[in-house]
Amino acid sequence: MLRVNKLSKSFGDKKVLDQISFEVEKGDIAIITGPSGVGKTTLIRCLSSLETYDSGTIDISERRSEKEHPVGLVFQSFNLFPHLSSLENITFPLIKAKGMNNEDARKKALELMESLGLTGLEGSYPFQLSGGQKQRVAIARALAMDPEYLCFDEPTSALDSKLRDSVGEILREIAKKGTGVIVITHDREFAEKYSTKLYALGSELDRVK
Amino acid sequence: MDYLLSMAPLMLQGLRTTLWLFFLTALGSIPLGMLVCILRLSKYTPLQRAMQLYILLMRGTPLLLQLIFIFFGLPIIGIVINRESAALIAFILNYAAYFAEIFRGGILSIDQGQYEASTVLGLSKIQTFFGIILPQVVKRVLPPGGNELITLVKDTSLAYILGLGDVLRASRTLTNQQASLIPLFLAGAIYLVLVSAVTFGLKKAETKFEYYR
Amino acid sequence: MKKSLTAVMLLVLSVSLLFGCTSTDSSEDTWTDLEDRGTVIVGFDDTFVPMGFKDGSGEIIGFDIDLAKEAIGRMGLEPEFQPIDWNLKETELNTKNIDLIWNGYTITDERKEKVNFTKPYLDNRQVIVVLSGSDIDMKADLEGRIVAAQNASSALAAIQAEGAAETFDGGEPILFDTYNDAFMDLEAGRVHAVVADEILARYYISERGEDKYKVLEEDFGDEEYGVGVRKSDVILLEKLNDILDEMKSDGSAEAISEKWFGENIVK
Repeated sequence: MLRVNKLSKSFGDKKVLDQISFEVEKGDIAIITGPSGVGKTTLIRCLSSLETYDSGTIDISERRSEKEHPVGLVFQSFNLFPHLSSLENITFPLIKAKGMNNEDARKKALELMESLGLTGLEGSYPFQLSGGQKQRVAIARALAMDPEYLCFDEPTSALDSKLRDSVGEILREIAKKGTGVIVITHDREFAEKYSTKLYALGSELDRVK
Repeated sequence: MDYLLSMAPLMLQGLRTTLWLFFLTALGSIPLGMLVCILRLSKYTPLQRAMQLYILLMRGTPLLLQLIFIFFGLPIIGIVINRESAALIAFILNYAAYFAEIFRGGILSIDQGQYEASTVLGLSKIQTFFGIILPQVVKRVLPPGGNELITLVKDTSLAYILGLGDVLRASRTLTNQQASLIPLFLAGAIYLVLVSAVTFGLKKAETKFEYYR
Repeated sequence: MKKSLTAVMLLVLSVSLLFGCTSTDSSEDTWTDLEDRGTVIVGFDDTFVPMGFKDGSGEIIGFDIDLAKEAIGRMGLEPEFQPIDWNLKETELNTKNIDLIWNGYTITDERKEKVNFTKPYLDNRQVIVVLSGSDIDMKADLEGRIVAAQNASSALAAIQAEGAAETFDGGEPILFDTYNDAFMDLEAGRVHAVVADEILARYYISERGEDKYKVLEEDFGDEEYGVGVRKSDVILLEKLNDILDEMKSDGSAEAISEKWFGENIVK
């Protein structure tokens, strides 16, 4: 379980997160909505260790040591490595950070790509991919690291409505396999449809569903 | 043809100087420039400032002056070096400063997202730098870096101030002895060939990096 | 910002202080070092014909070169010939990058403040060279004309000593790093006259064609050549003087002179 307890963060004088608390279980799809600028991105950046916070705690019961990264993040702009092929984007962290050998990394990456419908694009470079394809490579890359929880920053913002649902299906698949999914979005429709827990972030975090 | 051949020995002598100065300077100043760049970007302020000062001094004073300073000045504080070493040290220190700024521009132009993605994926700082950042930086710095190398080819002629005879000096001596400007044209042609070789090498490198955008 | 500005100023200050104390190093006689090393390094401008220069094939030859080889050989040491920038010759000598300045080096009072000289071994004149068709016949004709010389040369010193520079076009002579460049400009017609060592001028003219040039009768003074030695090198100076005297009396200097000038002009 991922438990956030009274998390607060300020940037200078501006208090962006004020005593936020919530819980996410493995298998949940927790979606946090709210207008832009309200702190949603800051929240998931804190969860994925990109940002420090001033007070409060984030406890992840599955975490075994300081060094692990139990919370992954799929960025809004994907941040794929442009000089690596799709396959390499996935295998590089596996080989370097997880210490996997080339063979195993390749196998795992290919499996993930297949499950996300990316077969045939292994040798393609990010600049050759469509927005939807890039997103799926980014998801595959994050999933390859076996995170306990996976955050998504505005996963539908770059896509048209047809693709939105395919993203939603992917989230359901990921949750079904046991990962805890945390999404921030201002897309209310999407949030209503796919969340198992729905939150609204304003000056406070309110559970809506 | 005989005429050109008669000029060959002196020109070749000069060419040898031009070439070793060019290659060794390139070999030394590029890694040093990268090192200075990394230190310049460190979070430790005194280190940052020290590198900024070094870069300011090297880019802010003429290379000719630095050549004289290093050759004649260092012995005063007890460091005695021969001419070739002095020339090489001056060139390397000078060009490293320029390369450092070129690399810095390249590194800063890399999107912050690349660093963040690397962090959340669990890559170490070293893995990120050598595997993600540096390859992208190389592609970006090829044009300005290449420019510096081309400038270097011609800057080698400044070594005359330490009595080192390069292609240009040889051509001046020959021009006078032969009472004609042909040696100068020959020197010009040699520089053209050298710069063309560097340009060609750069094009090849740039093409290698065209596999992605 | 303040901190680093102070740091910069301190650095500049300490560096200039270091440079202020130049005298400390050149205060000892280096004879034993030269003996240990086995070589004496002669600094020269490799375009100064016919005293010491690189010919077309890159060989170092010249009257002074031959004299130096003989003289240093007699000291039991090997000569090494190092091309230098003529502007920096005294600096090269005093920082021990060379041990002797031997290249048609004129003895002047100004230079005596920086170096010691051997006894003179050659007479010289600072002559005025013009193109053969030039309307310049007398020194006075130089008024309002463009005159060239080599930078840091005794020609320049001679011109300045006579106060002639002010009369030239531009109020001063055009200075070149080598006489190569000066003569090229003369041929181009961009300078009207070159003031140079007679020995160099005559050699140059004989190589290029006597009919192209004219050497004026009037000159900028008589001079003598000597060999430049560090002030602290008392032993080297003494030995060199003795050996030069030897060479003058046993005919070896004469032989070298005949080779280069067709006659014995050694004094």
